[in-house]
Amino acid sequence: MKKFIVIITLATLGFYLGETFYELGFGNARFEHGVKDAYLEKTVSELHVANTITSIIVNFRGFDTLGEVTVLFLAATALGGILYKKKHHAGDRSVLFPASRIVMSGSKLLFPAVILLGVYIFVHGHLSPGGGFQGGTIVATGFLLMLLAYDDFTVSHHVLSYVESFAGIFFVLFGLAGFYNGGTFLENFMPVGTMNDLFSGGIIPIIYILVGFKVAAELTGLIYTVLHEKD
Amino acid sequence: MDDKIFEIMQFGVYTASILLILIGLYAALTKKSLIKIVIGLSIVDAGIHLLLVAIGYINLGTAPIFSPGYEDTASKMVDPVPQALVLTAIVIGFAVTAVALSLVIRLYRHHHTLEIDEIKNLKW
Amino acid sequence: MVGSPVLLIAIPLLAAFLIPLLGMIWKELVRIIPGLVLAYMMVLSASLLYYVLENGPIIEILAGWRPPLGINLVFSPLTGFLTTIMTFLGFIVWLFSYRFKRNVEFEPAKKYFIFLMMLIAGAVGIVLTGDIFNQFVFIEIVGISAYALTAFYTGRNAAEASFKYLLMGSLSASALLIAIAIIYSQLGTLNMADIANNIHLMDPNFKVIALILFIVGIGIEAEIFPLNGWAPDAYTEAPGPIGAAFAGIVVKAGVYAMVRMVFTLFDVSGATEFLLIIGLVTLIIAETTALRQEKLKRMLAYSSIGQMGLVFVAFGIGTVEGIFAALFLMLNHAIIKPLLFFSGSYLVFNSKDKKIKEMNGLGKYMPMTAAFFALGSFAIVGLPPFAGFWSKLSILTAAANEGMLLIIALILMVSVVEIVYYFRVVNRIYFFKFDKASTVIPHKPRINAVFAMAVLGILILLIGFYPDAVTGVLHKASDDLMNTQQYIKNVLSLGQTLTN
Repeated sequence: MKKFIVIITLATLGFYLGETFYELGFGNARFEHGVKDAYLEKTVSELHVANTITSIIVNFRGFDTLGEVTVLFLAATALGGILYKKKHHAGDRSVLFPASRIVMSGSKLLFPAVILLGVYIFVHGHLSPGGGFQGGTIVATGFLLMLLAYDDFTVSHHVLSYVESFAGIFFVLFGLAGFYNGGTFLENFMPVGTMNDLFSGGIIPIIYILVGFKVAAELTGLIYTVLHEKD
Repeated sequence: MDDKIFEIMQFGVYTASILLILIGLYAALTKKSLIKIVIGLSIVDAGIHLLLVAIGYINLGTAPIFSPGYEDTASKMVDPVPQALVLTAIVIGFAVTAVALSLVIRLYRHHHTLEIDEIKNLKW
Repeated sequence: MVGSPVLLIAIPLLAAFLIPLLGMIWKELVRIIPGLVLAYMMVLSASLLYYVLENGPIIEILAGWRPPLGINLVFSPLTGFLTTIMTFLGFIVWLFSYRFKRNVEFEPAKKYFIFLMMLIAGAVGIVLTGDIFNQFVFIEIVGISAYALTAFYTGRNAAEASFKYLLMGSLSASALLIAIAIIYSQLGTLNMADIANNIHLMDPNFKVIALILFIVGIGIEAEIFPLNGWAPDAYTEAPGPIGAAFAGIVVKAGVYAMVRMVFTLFDVSGATEFLLIIGLVTLIIAETTALRQEKLKRMLAYSSIGQMGLVFVAFGIGTVEGIFAALFLMLNHAIIKPLLFFSGSYLVFNSKDKKIKEMNGLGKYMPMTAAFFALGSFAIVGLPPFAGFWSKLSILTAAANEGMLLIIALILMVSVVEIVYYFRVVNRIYFFKFDKASTVIPHKPRINAVFAMAVLGILILLIGFYPDAVTGVLHKASDDLMNTQQYIKNVLSLGQTLTN
């Protein structure tokens, strides 16, 4: 009975949504004045950043990114809080069965490459597709690989915590620096350089690198917390 | 020929994303296992992100990145704003899924089962 | 002036990142720093409000880009007023829960205070922002803090209540995202003032669908029927002071977002009538359910939902007097409900089930706590000379001015129901016999808790005897909400920007 009601409701919902979006059309710009043209234009002329999406995320809508970074931080803290531990067991891992030879040797080979790829992506966030979130996730994947392959691979929880906190603190401090430099919060107050250079875009690459570190540290900490959850 | 492909694509993308949303909602609302509910929420998120990105597509547009030598192609680029929104939305969706899974782990710790029917201490 | 609106959000964020580090130096810091931050926010907010009441709203731009390109914060009489209430309450909740049950231990305390601070900073963000996607991000911040705080206690029910909240919150966030997608695809902008300016260009069908999705999305935080299923469980299982924070802070942010949607952004006719009907339904269902509750906090939760329904009825009347009444109701509810939660949580401190039956005769052993609870009860049902009387009176006046006699009758009937279930409890506390078998062991509140409750109590009496102290602000705030054109003009031509 309940399933029937749910299916009917979902069908109506799907119908209305479908109707709305087919009306909207696909692939045609539907509004005369919107913000996207200004973004595309200003990112070349004023910010000298090649990747428009990076400039939107870090500069035009930087406040959203700050909120998003906070959400990640809160989620990592919540995980630690919800999975509270009465005492600290060291080296207590919930492993179902040990990894095979292939995984172990392959991981050792891949680990530096994955980390390098991740760091490359978040350092070049303003020049090519990618950025802090994407690169940070890749770095965390590298750590996950090692954690899964080797029982005794540990990452110091304290180091992760420090990296996470410092990256967040510096993000906010950069914002406040823009604020106290006679401008507004999160304003780009450093020289912008020429486009497609590594050092272009003022504080945008710096903030994105900080975000990359923060995301990597947070995700690794998250994986670590869940891996140490023993019955 | 191009028009035909374009029509199929238009039909396909929106349908796919709405289907994903509906399937995810179905799973989240009717399934009895906690993990399946969380997976359902995750699928809903995927569908919505797809929908958001699809909103921004401009016909025959390219990625909004000004590589060296292509500095004045702004008119032929897709809308960058929905992509930025989706980046934020993906991270937020992930954070919520992580918290949800940790709650599932804790509920499992207490009740040693994942079925809602057996965990129903509070009125659902 | 001591600063600018963005600091109301940036400073708590900075403190939240700092606390794990500083906690390693000196353990007590995890309790002290949030208190300092909340006190700072309260003072800053009040001083900004004073400035804004004299000189007009402050529009602060972020990242150096003017709206609609960048994100902007709006500190107007309305938003400033709400922010001041929320930061003040935040400080009081901090004061009350300095050491409370589980957060006397270090690790839980660290997390508790971080989440409390972010709950308030997030709610302030929801109110101050002028951009719909930014509002979504802040709603998620509040959401995650709330889920974590609901699951704070280690019993089995807390995690379940939190999961239920999470499930509903997640679905509502999805609805909100689809609404944002529809709006963006039609209007090309995410800035509230810009949307309000151009909303007439949008196809009416799309407008209605977007509005419905927005209502579903925000209705969860605002606790309207039928989206409030999570609330009773969450309020019951969360720690007492957190229940107070939910009722006094989070819901207000949700109501603000909803009202901003309906009044400023969308020009759909019939939207205010919809608010009225939804408010009535919520009010009636919640108050009658409260009558049947056996657990104290659950009863308070349903009462809270009912009060919010009443607030929506007031908004739904559609006139400036209606808005005035709604804001007055919100103010009073924000002060009275936390007092009830605070005193209530001490009254059932040692009880496992927190049932009302176990509160017999506590009036004799916990005189102050019981007195505060009684004061709160009298105030919330609207007895003169306490604060609640004036707000109930103003909504009845507003309804009378529009000739809505049915509404007046319904509100009065519901008030009777309220009186019944609140006085039942007060009766038990004072006139039933305390006996060891069925009553919980009294637990005297700590000095900081008493102080927090006393502050709220004094405020209730103050507003009760001198309502004019707050009516000036309320009138300015309600004018602010009605006047959409002014809002658009302020933001898009940058009213009064704050530069350092």
